[in-house]
Amino acid sequence: MLKKYPFYTISLIVLALVQHFVLSKLVVFGASPDILAVFIAFTSVMLGQRTGTTYGFGVGLFAGFLSGNLGLSALIGTVEGFVAGYYHVPEESYATTVKKRRMFYFASATALVAGNLLMALLNNPMAVALYIRIPALVIIGTLTSMLLTVLLYQLVLKKLQRD
Amino acid sequence: MLSFFRFLARHTAYLFFLLYCGISILLMQLQRKETLEAIRTQGLTVNASVAERLSSIGGLFALQEYNEHLLLQNARLFSRVMRQETVLRDARDRNILTAKDSTRAYGRFFVARIVDRRFSLTDNMLVINAGWRQGIDKDMAVLTPDGLVGRVTRVSENYAKVMPVINKRFKVSVVSDSSSTYGVLSWNRGSETVAHMENVPASSHLKVGERITTSDHSTFAIRGIPIGRVIRISGNKLFSDIDVRLFVDYSSLSYVLVSPDKPSAEKLEIISEEDVKTKSDMKPLGR
Repeated sequence: MLKKYPFYTISLIVLALVQHFVLSKLVVFGASPDILAVFIAFTSVMLGQRTGTTYGFGVGLFAGFLSGNLGLSALIGTVEGFVAGYYHVPEESYATTVKKRRMFYFASATALVAGNLLMALLNNPMAVALYIRIPALVIIGTLTSMLLTVLLYQLVLKKLQRD
Repeated sequence: MLSFFRFLARHTAYLFFLLYCGISILLMQLQRKETLEAIRTQGLTVNASVAERLSSIGGLFALQEYNEHLLLQNARLFSRVMRQETVLRDARDRNILTAKDSTRAYGRFFVARIVDRRFSLTDNMLVINAGWRQGIDKDMAVLTPDGLVGRVTRVSENYAKVMPVINKRFKVSVVSDSSSTYGVLSWNRGSETVAHMENVPASSHLKVGERITTSDHSTFAIRGIPIGRVIRISGNKLFSDIDVRLFVDYSSLSYVLVSPDKPSAEKLEIISEEDVKTKSDMKPLGR
């Protein structure tokens, strides 16, 4: 179990870099897929709400360091980790693979909605009206990120969840 | 009290959440403070340096294409420079009318990559990735903007074999820049950067440091292709022994230009007729 922490830490740092330097440039109607939120949700589902919240805060700080928005990024990461923690599947549980997958998808969707909503409410660099920001970020941002969630789960996270 | 601690232990996640939210909101409030501003500046520096490295990695993929584009551009410019140099030289010699005729021959160069090379003590050769399908023909001059590389000796569909200047069978007629001294350049093993100029009378005014180029007497190369610079003059009473440092660095050669222009066929024909008449058995492989 202890070995998992360095793995999650390194993965989150790498994904924060990928998010900042690659995925943030793939803008679809003002929103971009958020791989960091997806992995924070996965961390919460696997390691629990408290650990997920801590990871969310830490990685949010790191992402904020890169983007120049320390406080907001940390807050969004914290909220994402916390809300996804409600779908935590304990290691010793007898949950089936289907249930684990469902829990992860729910966790991811909740974290994405919460994160994007916060972003839409608290950040407005383009001076766009709220009624445009919220649908653009929450709906489109969540949908594009959910596509990424499914892809990531089928390719990588499923195997990690089994291990 | 115990029940309070139990409550805390049961709800640590909430406590952590509140603590982190508090810190985050504090950071948002203190965003404009000097310490945080310094951290943000540091973050921007890291961000910019990583982004720069990433963009340079992306640039690597386009490098091959960019390189070839530059080579083509280089070939075009080199062709123009050679033409103008010839005109200038001819104007200096008050022979402008001849210059008009001679410059007509200078056209575009083919760009080719060296795909194989054999360097031994005697028999050096290069293989380029252009053959008759690309317009390469036997006896075409191979060069770089630095100078003459060699001549095409064999051509297949997509490849051609090049005999470099640093081959003991290679010979080319050359002329010096300032004193207009003619001679024949050859390579007698030894250093790959030094060739020798033969048949230069001891009475010539050739000096150390003079630039050597191909002459009109060559049977395969157009005139004016740079070759090297005179670094040593010695010899006996009749002929001088001249060392020429070659401009082309064979150790780092990867792309070459092939000149499709050859001396006039009529001129070559008349030379070969002369050769038959005199029954010279010392026919050089190339001059």
